[in-house]
Amino acid sequence: MKSWLRHLALLVLPLLLAACAGILGLRPKAGPALFEHRPHVLNGINCLECHSGIMSAGQGGELHLPTDATCRKCHSKPHDERSCTGCHGTPHERESAQLASTHLRFEHRKHMGPTNGQCIRCHVRIGDTNPATLLAPMAACFGCHHHDDQWAMRTCDGCHVDLPAERVKPETHVVHEGDFVREHGVRAASARDLCATCHSDRFCSGCHGVTTPGLPARLAFDDPRLSGLHRAGFKSRHALESRDQPGLCVTCHSEASCQECHTREHVGSKLLGSGATSGPHPKGWIGGGRGGGGHGTAARLDPMSCAGCHGGAGEQLCVGCHKVGGPGGNPHGAGFASHKDKRRDVPCRQCHALNP
Amino acid sequence: MWLGTANADALRLRGDGYVQAPRPVGLLVLQGEDNARPWVSAEGLAWLGSGQPTTLGEGGPTGTTGTASGDVLTLVVRLRDPSGHGEVRVGRFLETAGAIRPLHLDGATGLARSPWGTSVEAFGGIPVVARFGERAYDWAAGGRLGQTIAERATVGFAYVQRRDFGRISDEEVGADFAAIPLPWLDLAARASNDVVSHGLTDALASVAMRSRDLRLEGFVTRRSPSHLLPATSLFSVLGDVPATRYGGTLRWHAAPRLDLLGTGAAQTQDDRLGADVTLRATLKTDEDGDGSLGLELRRVGVPGASWSGIRGIGTVPLKRGLLRASTEIEIAAPDEPANRGSVWPWALVAVTWRVTPAWDMAVATEAGATSTTKSEVNALMRASYAWGR
Repeated sequence: MKSWLRHLALLVLPLLLAACAGILGLRPKAGPALFEHRPHVLNGINCLECHSGIMSAGQGGELHLPTDATCRKCHSKPHDERSCTGCHGTPHERESAQLASTHLRFEHRKHMGPTNGQCIRCHVRIGDTNPATLLAPMAACFGCHHHDDQWAMRTCDGCHVDLPAERVKPETHVVHEGDFVREHGVRAASARDLCATCHSDRFCSGCHGVTTPGLPARLAFDDPRLSGLHRAGFKSRHALESRDQPGLCVTCHSEASCQECHTREHVGSKLLGSGATSGPHPKGWIGGGRGGGGHGTAARLDPMSCAGCHGGAGEQLCVGCHKVGGPGGNPHGAGFASHKDKRRDVPCRQCHALNP
Repeated sequence: MWLGTANADALRLRGDGYVQAPRPVGLLVLQGEDNARPWVSAEGLAWLGSGQPTTLGEGGPTGTTGTASGDVLTLVVRLRDPSGHGEVRVGRFLETAGAIRPLHLDGATGLARSPWGTSVEAFGGIPVVARFGERAYDWAAGGRLGQTIAERATVGFAYVQRRDFGRISDEEVGADFAAIPLPWLDLAARASNDVVSHGLTDALASVAMRSRDLRLEGFVTRRSPSHLLPATSLFSVLGDVPATRYGGTLRWHAAPRLDLLGTGAAQTQDDRLGADVTLRATLKTDEDGDGSLGLELRRVGVPGASWSGIRGIGTVPLKRGLLRASTEIEIAAPDEPANRGSVWPWALVAVTWRVTPAWDMAVATEAGATSTTKSEVNALMRASYAWGR
């Protein structure tokens, strides 16, 4: 029986892998495919035989992509009577070329001399088997052009007509990969003005602003590919997520934002210590012993959660017990230090003003 | 893939309308920018809304429940020296100066750069109050001094002071650092220190290495919740119990159409230990990535906040560039339900239609059971118009 299973597995596994190869893109499927530049290059066909006129091309204008007639100069007996460009070359390749033509200040004719007409010096990926893009990478530009000053002065518009509209992601600096939502804060800290070469002010304010019309994930509800902190069922998860990473919420939200929302939604309205199941606090939340029944420890670990409901006027609830001489004792935990005047400054004076 | 029109329009205007039922929300967002000349540009985003605010998110049209509201997110004029030596922004904007947390301000900020890599930025203004709320005697001011070293590293120092009713609510100094010493190596770090109550407020460090198909990042974050609160809050005096998180992220371009991402982290705070893991796979269903399938698994194991979740997404281009269907499904389960429900399912199905280059529309239905409601079903619609297309 075991032998039979082993043979079946040996049969099924390659079939599965073969099936997956198509799904994963390891085996090209029928339909438009990337143009086969590599075999043309290996056969010594000069780029200009297909891209005629590119030598004199200026800013914008025609793309100088080959037509069916161009192909049929060599492929005089094509395997199919349909248009060559229907299968050889993807719409994506043509759109990329069009976007680059529109968004870059670039003239092919000025580069023919310095490169001796060697297109591959800039279009370095032409020889790759399955290149993600055929456009020249920025690193290829920097091989000849030294833009140190422009980099320092953030003047990208010498080449890039309109970076925000170009919608390209950098490949070599501030790489937008991995968990960029978490990473962007530390990477943008040293490069705010670099980020601003592509991103508008309202792009940043959309998340970090106090007056956002709605969460970006919510407004772009039809694009689930966008990652973000507040996607999907965040409303249910948010209490756990805020406790999971104490302080993370405060980096964007004020403590008042919790209170506003909870008041509207009538959440956590039951009285402390009532044992109510829908209230936010467990039984015995306030009690005797070290930690005051748990609420003291919890408050030190995540004071934002407390401030979310008990901030502002609600602080008097704490002051009632923890003022100097009160039954709650000293609330200051380890590591507390302040240069405030405890009798005059807020919040110290709430507890210290009468009994220093 | 939605392609933006290829142009460098001097003026861009866009309007978005959102409607939701049966928990009614109506929202009209108007945004635009003008880059008519190389030395001046302006942008703005204003919105009007009414209905149940939270259904569009925490930052939704808050104010009084069920009434009309509105606000301005951004309204800023940017004057710029075309050679890049300096720029000034005036109006309502977001200030992000190095390690200092972003500040939404009504005010002005100026930045000067030198060709040898030094930059000086100074800002001042009144912190934005939502819904044109009453302003106390509050203001914020600060700046950053930065230096680029050999085009490969940047270091900066920042300071901010913020006052509320004339009293200091935040005073922080910060330092930031970023470098790409090798083409495959990224380093970045920032830290801010609370000057009022002496202590590290927020610190992050990240090291990332990458090759064509792999990227590995290691990170450390350290946050002290009591220092992050305003110094005027009673809850800022409870002592310093920072949470430190150590973790790593691996991104692997496993196949031409398959990307895998894994993040794992361990966390300590006082004597509390925790860990979390996220695994995500994204499969493009075509060469251009118009269609995709995604699966995400998440496990958070932090005492008192543990939960597990699975999320799936799918997008299908019904007609390339014109019509697209998408779906998103999530199931989350808390370890301690505490009468909030043992499972929180949530699902959304949407269709997006680019009617013309200027018009696009989206409709969706979402349904779920949340921690506060047994079931909830909403219909959503968005219509957007971009002038000049």
